[in-house]
This record gives sequence, C-alpha cells and structure tokens, in this order.
Amino acid sequence: MKRTTTAPPVGEVPTAFGISTAPDGVPVAPMLSMFDPMFIGIDEFGQAVTLDLVFHNILVGGEPGGGKSGLLNTITAYAAMADNTRLVLFDGKLVELGPWMDIADEFVGPDLEHALSVLRRLQVVINNRYAWLRAQRRRKLDRQDRMSVILVVLDELALYSATYGTKDQREEFDRLLRDVVARGRACGVPVVAATQRPSVDIIPTSLRDLFGYRAAFRCTTINSSDIVLGRDWASQGYSASDIDPENRGMAYLLAETGVPRRIKAAYLNDAEIYQIADYMAWIRRTNTTALSGTAA
Amino acid sequence: MPKFSGRGNRRGFSRSGGTVTVLETRVHRSSARNARVAFILTTIVIALLTMTIASDYMNPVLALLLAAGLGPIVGALVWVVVRIWPVLRVLWWWTPEITSALALVYGWLWFADATDLVVRLIVVAALGGSFAIPPVRRRVWAVVLCLFVRHRLRVCFAQFIIANQSGTLPFILMARPTPVGERVWIYLRPGLDLTYLQASAEKIAVACSAAQTVIERVNPSNAAFLRVDIKRREVLTATVKPGLTDLVGADGTPIDDTTAVIAPSALDLPDVADPAVKAAKPATTRTVPPARPAPGPVFQPTSVTSADGEDVSDLIDF
Repeated sequence: MKRTTTAPPVGEVPTAFGISTAPDGVPVAPMLSMFDPMFIGIDEFGQAVTLDLVFHNILVGGEPGGGKSGLLNTITAYAAMADNTRLVLFDGKLVELGPWMDIADEFVGPDLEHALSVLRRLQVVINNRYAWLRAQRRRKLDRQDRMSVILVVLDELALYSATYGTKDQREEFDRLLRDVVARGRACGVPVVAATQRPSVDIIPTSLRDLFGYRAAFRCTTINSSDIVLGRDWASQGYSASDIDPENRGMAYLLAETGVPRRIKAAYLNDAEIYQIADYMAWIRRTNTTALSGTAA
Repeated sequence: MPKFSGRGNRRGFSRSGGTVTVLETRVHRSSARNARVAFILTTIVIALLTMTIASDYMNPVLALLLAAGLGPIVGALVWVVVRIWPVLRVLWWWTPEITSALALVYGWLWFADATDLVVRLIVVAALGGSFAIPPVRRRVWAVVLCLFVRHRLRVCFAQFIIANQSGTLPFILMARPTPVGERVWIYLRPGLDLTYLQASAEKIAVACSAAQTVIERVNPSNAAFLRVDIKRREVLTATVKPGLTDLVGADGTPIDDTTAVIAPSALDLPDVADPAVKAAKPATTRTVPPARPAPGPVFQPTSVTSADGEDVSDLIDF
C-alpha cells in the first residue's frame, strides 16, 4: 500500500526539511516493522513464507548463482523500509549490498580492520543493551521498548573469516561475530550471513551452529547441503543438491517448522532495489546540503 | 485384505470376498450395534429423567408410568437416527452437490417464471460467456476440484486405508483451492496416524488424479488434526516478488540524498600497472588482498567521433 498524501504546490514544499522537489507527494515511511513477520517468498504450496527475523539469526548457503544475494537483498530491503531499524552491512564485493550503502549506518567493504571495528562497536552496544534490560528486570527486547533493531547482514562471510587480513584478524573476526550471533538475538541485533559453503575451514562449527534458521540454496553436493542445513537432513530426503540449477531462488528453509521445506525466495531486480533504496534514502534525507543552504 | 474378510478367502481381492464388501459389512454391523446401544441408553436416561422431574408434579406411580412410556419412544427415535446414520452421512457428504442442484433447478424455474425469453437468453449467454474468461473459469474449476477431492479422499479412506474395527472414516473438513491444487483438513478417528497416512500419500495422489500429496500435522498439540495438500502444479519455478516496491514511489524519487559514486577508470587489465597492485597490497597480508585500485581520474570523454568523423558527443548521455 502506497502511503502518500496530496502533494502541496511546489512553491509550498517545506524546504526547511531539505526537500527540493517532490515526485508525486510528500513521502511517508512505509512503516513496516522488524517485529512483524517478514515475507521472504512462497512455499511449495504457493503459501507465503515469513520469518520472525528479529529474534533469530539466519545462515544462507549455496553455490554461486543460487539466489543467496537475492534473499539477502529482500531481507535488507524489508529492513530498510522498517521503522526504527538500522542496517550494518558487510559486503566484500560492494555490489550485492552496495545499493543500501547510503542508508546503512555502517557499510563494510573489503576491509577487515573496518569489519573488526564495527563488530567491536556492536559488541559494546549489545553489552549496554543487556545491562539496560537487566535494569528493566527483563531478559528480552520487545516492540514497546522503541529501541532500534540493528540488522547485521554479511554477504560472502568467507571473505572476512577466511580470506582477508591476517590470521589474528580473522580469528578475532570469528570471535567477535560469534559473540554478536550468540548474544545479539535477544537484544535486537539479528544477524543474516551468507556464504557458499559454511564448512569448518570457512567458519568454526561453534559459530555455524548458533544460527537458528538455515536456508540452503542449490548446493553442488549432498555434503554441502547437510553442512548448511545441519544434522543429517539429506538422508531424510532434504538435499539442496536436488534443486534444479536453472531454478534460481529455490531453497530449503529450516525455520519454525523444524523440518526443511522447499521455498522460492522473493527476488528484487536491480531497478527495484535501487527504486527502494533511493526512496528510503530520500525519506531519511541524509543529505543535509539543501537544509544547510536553506538555513544560510 | 483377507485378514478382514472373516472367511479366509485366498483369492484376496476377488469380488466375492473383497475388501469393499467386508468393510461395508463392518459398517453395517457397527450401525446396528450402535443403534441398539443408543436405544437402551436413551431409554434408561430419558426414563430416569422423566420419573425424577415428573414425580415433583404428580403421583410417583403415574410418574413411573409416564417414564416407562416416554423413555422407549425417545429411545426409538434415537435408534432410527443412529440406524439410518450411514444414509444421513452420505446425504451430508453430498450436501453441496444436492444443494447446488436444487438451487439451480428451482432458481431456473423461478427465473423462467419471472422473465421472458429474451432476458433468459441474455442471462444464459452472459453466464456462458463468463466461462470464456480464464480467471473465472479457473476459479470455478478450482471450487469443483475441492468438492471432487473431498469425495476422492473419502474413497481412499474407505478403500485402502483401514481405519478401525467399526469402519468409521476420518472427518473430512473444509477444502479450499491453493495455487498448486487443493488443501483439505481432516480430523482422524482412533486407528490412524500421520505416519500411516504418509505411507499412502502416493496412492492418495493417484486417487485424486494429482501429481503429489503432502500430509502434514496442522497443530503440534493435536496429532489427529492433519492437512492434506494435493499438488497438481509446480509454483517454485515462478518468479516471486516481495511487493515492497508497491510501498514506495514508482519513479522520480530525487536522488539528492544518495552518494555520488566515482567510478574508477582502470577497468581493463592493461590499465592496471603492476606497481599499483604492489602499492595497494598491505605488508602484513599473507593472502591476496582485494583489488582496491587507487582512485584514478574519472573517465570524462571530451568528444566522441562517429565513423564519418562527425562529433556526436551531444547525442550521448555520459
């Protein structure tokens, strides 16, 4: 539902807010919420698949071209349009999550030291939030707290955990990320991580097993599928290696049901991603040039 | 299934001693026994209640006589209902079809009395023409299939899914269309479980003329409440849109608030000199770091010349 109000005449646009032009109305935030179920696709019966992502971490795996980044962009787009939500994005390739760079509170490119710095900050935020929750005599954040949800999205996790930087830096990255994944869930810092094959040489098993939700896109081998989904699901008939290579975006999702189910992830093309990203950047009005100019 | 025939028929599925006859016999016996039990219980309960209540208003002997008369009468009514319950159940199963047929016949009669021939022809043509519209046709066909699969599921339960000693079938609840086929909710009687039904999923798919049948539990706290998904089509090959673009402006969003990206100019291998890579490589890095080419001068073509030597810069957006 598009929420716009009638556009005032151009001359009456409140330029004090830095709006120089209005396309067809005064922008109003979509008012989605991370505390509501997030639509990510359909299941094999054509029914909507939603995730309660604010209190869960999700690990996305699969071969290149399987649809991992499509799911990541859908999740990121929803979060970008959600009320009181901050984005912390890690993308070594720059192009997968790059469209959201302007509205992300932190965007980490191929720079492991920057990644470490951001994770250390998140760790402090988590510490402070738990101290705050303890002061409130509570154990979990909820919608009424009006505290921001900080969504951490990592595309190609292996770049940070096994490729960039020194061994000490990578170990510190694993340590910090494990802490964020382990403790961030209940205080509004969910993590979405994607990698091609989350085997032990890419991320430690202790870190991998902390992800409650799993999404396995097309995998080249049965073993790879089991690494993503966990346990011995392939022997029970749930193997992402059976997915048709031509059917991009199809995946096995292991979430609330406790059993993997086949889904087709929703997909945004580049134009749609930039359409949403530009609109959300416009709403946020991060560029204060016009405001400064007006004030002057 | 000879073990249920009660006659040790070695030919198994022959018509003289087949499963169908045996099941119907069991249902028949169950109905007679249930009717008898219902008659006795109802008679006793009604008689006791009548005697208890009536004794407050009349002589206890008269109350006893009244109870002795009223109890068997009500018991007999209950006996009749229970005895013909298999017939009532069949009528209940076919209620949608019977109701639709009656509505169609009596509706048409009323319509024919109230209108003349021209109006009737126009209405019939309009109704018939609406079936030429694919969405309408698909909707109607989907509803018809919902009715169809409920009957087919009932056949499955009666024919090859053995329920219990009395031969009672599961409750087949609502059915509704889904993008891939139909979804039917059922409530199991004692004697069946999810695993048993899942083992027969392929047979159910055949009976429903479907590609696949998936049976799942609806409510984790109730093992008897199941959902049967009958799949006739594949939807996972479709492109799914999250609908988020409907929430933002279609186009024309100002991009003043986005950061201008300076594109590097060294986009081909000969454009990147070896010293530049070495300079960008951190001394402490063991593996090959990401290529972070130093921001070079932005490519700013000053003019473009066509094949015939004409400057066409004004015709191209850089």
